[in-house]
Amino acid sequence: MILAGQDMRHITIKLMREDLPRASLLLAELAAFAPDERPLLEAELPEIPGTSFRSRIRRAWGHFDRLVALLGELPAQDPDTPLLVLRREQLIEIDQWLAEAWKQCAPCDEALHRIEEEFSELHNLERSLEDFADLDIDLSRLQAQHTHLDMRIGSVPLENEPRLRDILALSNHLILNVAGDGDTLRIVVAGRREDASILDSVLHAAAFQPLSIPESFDDNPGALRAELAARRDKLSQECTQLRGQLANWMTTNRRQMLRARQMLEAAEPYVNLRGAARSRGPLAALQGWVPASYLGQIEAGLRESLSLPFLLEARRPRSDERHLVPVPVRQRGLLQPFAMLVQQYGVPRFGEFDPTILFAITFAGMFGMMFGDIGHGAVIIVTGLVLRRRLRAFTYLFVLAGASAMLFGWLYGSIFGVEHWIDPLWIAPMSDPIYMLTVALAWGVAFLTLGSAIAITNRLQSGDQAGALFGPGGLFSLILYLALLGGMVNLAQGDDFPLVATVLLLVTLLLLIAYQWRSSDAPYGERIFTTLIETFEIVNNYVASSLSFLRVAAFSLNHVALSLAVFTLANSMDTIGHWITLVLGNLFVIVLEGIIVAIQTLRLEYYEGFSRYFYGDGTPFRPLRVGRSQASPTR
Amino acid sequence: MNKLANQAYLRTRLAIMRANLLGREKLAALAQMPLDELAKHTGFDAVTAGNDATRLAAFERALMQTWLDELSALLRPLAGPARRLLTQWASRYELLNIKALVRGKIGQLPNEQIEQSLFELPGFLSLDHERLLNTDSIPELLRQLQKTRYRRLATQALRQYEERPDPFLLDATLDQQFYSDLSHRAQQLEGDDRTETLDLIGRFVDRHNLVWSLRYRFNYGLQPSEVLYLAIDGGRVLNRSLLQQMLQADTLGDALRQLPKNLLSHREMPEEITLIEAAMRDDLFNHAQRAMLRSPSALSSVLAYLVLRHGEITSLYSIVHARVRGLGDDVLAQALDPLQEAAA
Repeated sequence: MILAGQDMRHITIKLMREDLPRASLLLAELAAFAPDERPLLEAELPEIPGTSFRSRIRRAWGHFDRLVALLGELPAQDPDTPLLVLRREQLIEIDQWLAEAWKQCAPCDEALHRIEEEFSELHNLERSLEDFADLDIDLSRLQAQHTHLDMRIGSVPLENEPRLRDILALSNHLILNVAGDGDTLRIVVAGRREDASILDSVLHAAAFQPLSIPESFDDNPGALRAELAARRDKLSQECTQLRGQLANWMTTNRRQMLRARQMLEAAEPYVNLRGAARSRGPLAALQGWVPASYLGQIEAGLRESLSLPFLLEARRPRSDERHLVPVPVRQRGLLQPFAMLVQQYGVPRFGEFDPTILFAITFAGMFGMMFGDIGHGAVIIVTGLVLRRRLRAFTYLFVLAGASAMLFGWLYGSIFGVEHWIDPLWIAPMSDPIYMLTVALAWGVAFLTLGSAIAITNRLQSGDQAGALFGPGGLFSLILYLALLGGMVNLAQGDDFPLVATVLLLVTLLLLIAYQWRSSDAPYGERIFTTLIETFEIVNNYVASSLSFLRVAAFSLNHVALSLAVFTLANSMDTIGHWITLVLGNLFVIVLEGIIVAIQTLRLEYYEGFSRYFYGDGTPFRPLRVGRSQASPTR
Repeated sequence: MNKLANQAYLRTRLAIMRANLLGREKLAALAQMPLDELAKHTGFDAVTAGNDATRLAAFERALMQTWLDELSALLRPLAGPARRLLTQWASRYELLNIKALVRGKIGQLPNEQIEQSLFELPGFLSLDHERLLNTDSIPELLRQLQKTRYRRLATQALRQYEERPDPFLLDATLDQQFYSDLSHRAQQLEGDDRTETLDLIGRFVDRHNLVWSLRYRFNYGLQPSEVLYLAIDGGRVLNRSLLQQMLQADTLGDALRQLPKNLLSHREMPEEITLIEAAMRDDLFNHAQRAMLRSPSALSSVLAYLVLRHGEITSLYSIVHARVRGLGDDVLAQALDPLQEAAA
């Protein structure tokens, strides 16, 4: 597809309201319908159906998720289980059942959290007592009320301690002892009794939790240990008992939980229609975008599954809808890695030139020209194939880049840097560097001209006539560039600057200046300045971009030079050293130069190509799907 | 992509996006327009469904979505500390959502109403609002939050809440963590990126610390030590010792006299907290404008652009909001530029 999203159609399905859930399920199963939530039918069908349905579904999911978090995951759904349409009364029943189920289990959840906190407190207490036992401090004295001294024992989150220490120091308080493990620190804070309110406020802000020391700590350590152990045992027993209750509950209600999940998942497509479905009384309609190739399937599916009459209307997108049409970006096979690289930059607008194919061809071409070598290309292909499981779609990129390198290797007559094994079909780069640079420049001119032509088409498609004519990369700047280039070529060949080129140059320059002048509303002086600078930038941009393509030739020469360096080094060694150097040298060339060339090619594509003609701000096509979608819980 | 290529990409994108900025004059012109014309210029007319409140909420979300989309585009070439920095910047919307969720739960609002005040977040932010929304109480909400990357913060908030429920303390803790993480991430950058972004973030922190410290101390009557504890590290001018000096003062006027003269570039510090906030904001935006155009760091320029764009989006929303609600020109002018109004 050259123009993005050209086969997209806007459809409206008019049907009876009770068939909406079934129709949405069918569309989701086909995964070819992206809902359109504009209120196009608001006048005739003012209601958005399923609002209460939607909030019930979400509440039901909320309870379901909390139950699963408490009781453990359920087994996966059998994929062969037929999907059922969830009726309103069934939803109410499921929602009520889940709410009741959560009501039964929530006290256990709360109790488990309380037990967890008590365990944590017990742990902190035990560790604190160990700390203080080592320090031989009389804690009952610390705990007691003093006239002037204010002592606090407790714990704070680890990350709060340094700040707390600094701030308390400013108000003449001290942190006397710090010990801890994990995320919590146990501390003793001391200060003046009269500053108690200051201490209270800072400790609260630092999430300080006071520890209550048992009275038996000082007089009977054995009794204390027994007391703490008894508390721990009691908590463990409570915990086991609660877990047992929950397990019993789950055994009794597993089937009902599975049914609830199945029904709620089946209702998701209907829920996710949102404003794309509208209704009035028993009548309803839903609207969205589908690829034209799916129209037949959708109609047949609706005919088969809906019991009541329906009407399917399809039309091409209108010109005022262009910015709204979602564009399918998924490419399969050879083009998939290139589509992914294009998406790194952006998604094409509807009707915009989809650069994927051009990108794939020019990427492979430029990579091959810069890295032309039959042997090295073959290694890249083999590497791609060996690592295909890890590389997945990018295997194709390796294969295509390697094949292109092999093709250019054949044209250059180069195998692993050796240039005398086969005759070049075209030219050995080092034999005529100037010619190579000229070819690269010509390629750059062709690339930029094509890019500008696409930019002009894209701007015309999106209704930006002024940009297509006068903007950077527009028609007049392209003519100016080509006239300048033609004149320079003539000059370089020893001829005069042609009159036609001079006239075209002057006329387009004046037009561009006039346009820049009119577009600016700045004060007089600034207007002159910006007009001149902007016009200069348009011209300069073309010249700089053209020269940027010289790197294509430079890297082809670099490849030969690096190979020569490897051979020179290898030839200075004995037989074993020679072969080791050759192997390592070639590996070095393949890895290092391969990466650099790939980056340079991407750079040329992105900055000399995409930034010139590609808007990349389109909407990706995200069809309605069966099952719990990401769209519903993520706001 | 290499660093040079990233810089080129960011500069290219930024050059294109800069055209989206309206500037003060255009904003002022929009503020003068009647609602119909204003709606046409701002895209508010495209939001048709529902009553005024619903439309305004949808409009605000659409504006923020634009900002987040632009940020997503600028994030594309970035990796490592630079990417983490910008992602953290975007996560302020996660914080706003958490604050809205907490306030909603405290006010026992229905989930649908709480949801209306939440921002839609892009894919690179991972907070699952649905799960947080489907909770019965603040402790349960905070326990759900413990399962996210806000675990430490939620644990702390849970401890604080169990002892004494204080919504503003949670707000302050969230802000503190946000700016601390931001400064921490900026520290990991290198060269110009590091210096320039730390300078910009430092100005943010100064503004936040000054305004909120004054509010906590003189409006809420908190103890100086507590206010100091809640302040954020990493300010450009206002360090802890300066803040302490300021907070020891008995009156707002005395506190302001403790401030260094270079806190504001081209004006005297006003004597009302609202005006102080406006002056600091103005100063920050002037700096951001310069950084966007002239900073040697593309990352810092991007951050400055996002700051400016966010500021304009907020103003745009205020204008539409004021017009829809039928507020007078004077109220709108006061909200948009309180400094000028005070001078007048």
